[in-house]
Amino acid sequence: MRVSFQGVEVLRGDWTLTADGVFGEGRHLVTGPVGSGKSTVALLMAGMVTPDRGRITRGGEGPLMLSLPFPEHHSTGATVREEIASWGLAADPVLAEAGMLGRGDGELHRCSRGELKRLHMACVLARRWDLLLLDEPYTALDCPGREALSARLSAPPAGTTVIFTHARESLPRVDRLWEIREGRLVDLGPVREAIPLWSSPPAYLRSALDQGAVPKNISVQDVREALCRTAG
Amino acid sequence: MIRVEGLVHAPLSIPLLEIPDGETAVIGPNGAGKTTLLRILSGITLPAQGSVRVEGLPSREQEVGWVGEYPDRNFLFDRVRDEIASPLRFRHLPCSETEARVQEIAETLGIARLRDRSVMALSGGEKVLVALAAALVSRPRLLLVDEVDSHLDPDTVLLMEAALRRAGCPSVIRVTAQMESALRASHLVFLQGGKVIHQGAPDRVFSALAGTAFLPPLWRCGR
Repeated sequence: MRVSFQGVEVLRGDWTLTADGVFGEGRHLVTGPVGSGKSTVALLMAGMVTPDRGRITRGGEGPLMLSLPFPEHHSTGATVREEIASWGLAADPVLAEAGMLGRGDGELHRCSRGELKRLHMACVLARRWDLLLLDEPYTALDCPGREALSARLSAPPAGTTVIFTHARESLPRVDRLWEIREGRLVDLGPVREAIPLWSSPPAYLRSALDQGAVPKNISVQDVREALCRTAG
Repeated sequence: MIRVEGLVHAPLSIPLLEIPDGETAVIGPNGAGKTTLLRILSGITLPAQGSVRVEGLPSREQEVGWVGEYPDRNFLFDRVRDEIASPLRFRHLPCSETEARVQEIAETLGIARLRDRSVMALSGGEKVLVALAAALVSRPRLLLVDEVDSHLDPDTVLLMEAALRRAGCPSVIRVTAQMESALRASHLVFLQGGKVIHQGAPDRVFSALAGTAFLPPLWRCGR
């Protein structure tokens, strides 16, 4: 699903956000500091916030999913199995994906937030969406969980996936980079050309760029490969 | 020095753990028992078995500060200055001393400009700094910080770390999910399955974690 921002402005007291650009099919990463407006962009794209000025156009009527930072905000089932069923999914593949095999009959409120997040992401990613908006998908996940999620998100999606995050330790391969700078959503372009323009890249990527490496993408794996090429 | 001895409290099983003064980071997978350990160190939770001593005394007999994962969920007052002053006001300290200490800690953490703001109008990073100020205003011997950085961007985490160092608390123990932040601590504890698997200087612990997802990305990319 294609989403266009035309002269969009959100005004809240002395805080403003402006946005122009088009999110086409593929994987997009939107970064920016805490409080910069990433969640607001996600809510605008989902149609849950109306801009004060400008227009947002969504091309297509396919299924849309906005995944919120806190997994408990999506929970509806009393047990893990009921929660999975509420997404219209079979339990076992989701339990396996979430690393929770044998936990289906457990009460949902007894799961840790990390477990809830893994379960939520497994449910979200088991379905197909024309527009998938992931607001802070790494929150509450430990290092192995973040790495597994990045690997999963690195697979090319069928529709448009937009990842909004301040995380910079484990990132997936993406097609296009965006950044919120001083209240403005900036389209940095296709990932390869965008990397040198990124004002707040992860430390591992910045270090590689300083060493003259030219990564094809932003994942740790891509940066390691670029460093190997640079070292000859 | 904090000494944990014979600790058994699900999921934790720690025969002996000595944590030196300074800044300690606690890392490990989800469910390892990191928050449980912090709660026991703080005295909020009493262990089923075993003991915790902070400079030879039980935690509940020492001044201990606590900042939870979602600091704003524990705010009691609307104005920043009232929130920071609350631990001293609850102890009926004289107003002049309370004012002076609030001013001092707010300046140390770089949030003096926020004193008359509503806590609800602050950014995520500012809320963390206000919660840290409220925890530090009592001049604790030990400050425990439970993974507040999972909601902060790396630049804000750097600001938080710098503010903590300026505050001069003798022992700070913080759970973190950001390995590059853990790398900057003076001491590291790696918990897994309720057990202390590695502890010591960050370089040493991360060397032992080579090949795992816990290795800081910068290390995986050849530093």
